[in-house]
Amino acid sequence: MSEPLDLTLRDQAAAIAAGDVDASELLEGALARIEQRNPAINAVVETFPERSREMLAEAPAGPLHGVPVVIKDEWPLPWRAQRFGAADMLASPTPGESGPYRALRDAGAVIVGVGNMHELGAGSTGNVSVYGPAGNPWNPERCPGGSSSGPAAAAAARLVAGAVGADGVGSIRYPAAYCGLTGLKPTFGRSAMDGHHMAGISTTIVSGPLCADADDCRLLGSVLYGEELRAGEARGLRIGVLTGEVSEDVAPAVREACEAAIEQLRAETGGEVREIGLPELPAATLATVLIANSESLGAVTPERLNQLDPELSPLGRGLLKYRLLLPAVATVKAYQVRTIARQTLASVFEDVDVIACPTVPAVAPPLEAPLVELPSGTLTADAANVRGGALANLTGIPAVSVPVGSSEGLPIGLQLQAAWGRDELLLDAAEALERANGRRWVEALPPLAAGERAEA
Amino acid sequence: MEASTSADDFIPAALAAYGVEADEIELAVMRAAHEMFWPPILELLALDTSAVASERDHDLSQAPPSR
Repeated sequence: MSEPLDLTLRDQAAAIAAGDVDASELLEGALARIEQRNPAINAVVETFPERSREMLAEAPAGPLHGVPVVIKDEWPLPWRAQRFGAADMLASPTPGESGPYRALRDAGAVIVGVGNMHELGAGSTGNVSVYGPAGNPWNPERCPGGSSSGPAAAAAARLVAGAVGADGVGSIRYPAAYCGLTGLKPTFGRSAMDGHHMAGISTTIVSGPLCADADDCRLLGSVLYGEELRAGEARGLRIGVLTGEVSEDVAPAVREACEAAIEQLRAETGGEVREIGLPELPAATLATVLIANSESLGAVTPERLNQLDPELSPLGRGLLKYRLLLPAVATVKAYQVRTIARQTLASVFEDVDVIACPTVPAVAPPLEAPLVELPSGTLTADAANVRGGALANLTGIPAVSVPVGSSEGLPIGLQLQAAWGRDELLLDAAEALERANGRRWVEALPPLAAGERAEA
Repeated sequence: MEASTSADDFIPAALAAYGVEADEIELAVMRAAHEMFWPPILELLALDTSAVASERDHDLSQAPPSR
């Protein structure tokens, strides 16, 4: 048998259930691997071995019995309040049983550590955090993506086989693309959200899985959803390819890989491809940012803004204060744009099953200067990434990022989006794509993980 | 009157109206954010959305009701 830590999430669970792998040894191995590999990438910001051992000792015979996982610093645990990657998150978090924690516990999983995240969830790169930047396992000097930077880097470095992230404006899909993982943003409301400091307020954030492949996302996703995400077969898939800057103002290598993957998906499923224009997309992108920012303003008072923790980054302090200046009329318009976008998508999904576009327009940029070179010029990664990531959060539809290529030694991701409630179809499509490319990209390992395996 | 995107006037005045303090670095961040967000915000405000019917009690887990 392979090193148990290198097995997929489902194979770890099956091996433990069959008695082929000892769950205690797997946990201790995961803790040792975190100690060994994590210093290079700062993906896991806290471990709590005794708590993890207690979880294992009390773990029920669920679908993830004994399997170590990492959870983002966005969710409270009974022994630890989330910090949201920040020295000051305006809210006053307390330890507790969040929905994802309960789902994992009840499935028998063992939380082995907390994953780093971009400060306040306010970036797509992961290079700003109270814990220091996380690094990309494919090149630790590159961004892992954000805001679920640590969960993605942890899963890509094979510290664990699965991790729980959160996605408010692309925050699972960006790091999935940068780190070469499969990352699922569920339909709004389908996955566990209780205990999040924005639960009941946010209309964009969902919890979701980050794993090597679609089948593992299906397993971890089923736990987070509290219902089985049944496997099917994507046949005759009607693929709509987004036109406009989201697909065209893209680094050539990314465009080429995504176009090739779309053709592979079409051929594998015996489907068809047609172009889809969404002229509302730029307005929808801005609307998402406005809504997400306005929803977090409830805890803001001028007095509180004058008392921000000085350890909060200058970027975080400036952006928190700038939110106060966003005009209410723009937010009202943003909600109208949401209505238009939802109606448009409902019509689009009468004609296509999935909408495809690059998840992000360029591979992971340097941590020091997260800028990307696109045909239109140099942009911040955040400004470029949000073009493709926002629509699903604005409208509630599910989306998945699937690894489909590589450039400069860094992964490339294709995003597929489907109609409300068709999360399972996205995983079926992702698996069809894996079959079409011989699982080349989901089995590719970053140097941080592959080097050690080669030496073993 | 033409719309202005000048952060130098708007940001200090708005912060002062709220009584919010900001240091030079925070002001620089806000100026950069303003330059990025304000032009598209003005475009958004210019959209004629008078014909958009509100989606009452919208449920983001579902498709919108048929029009």
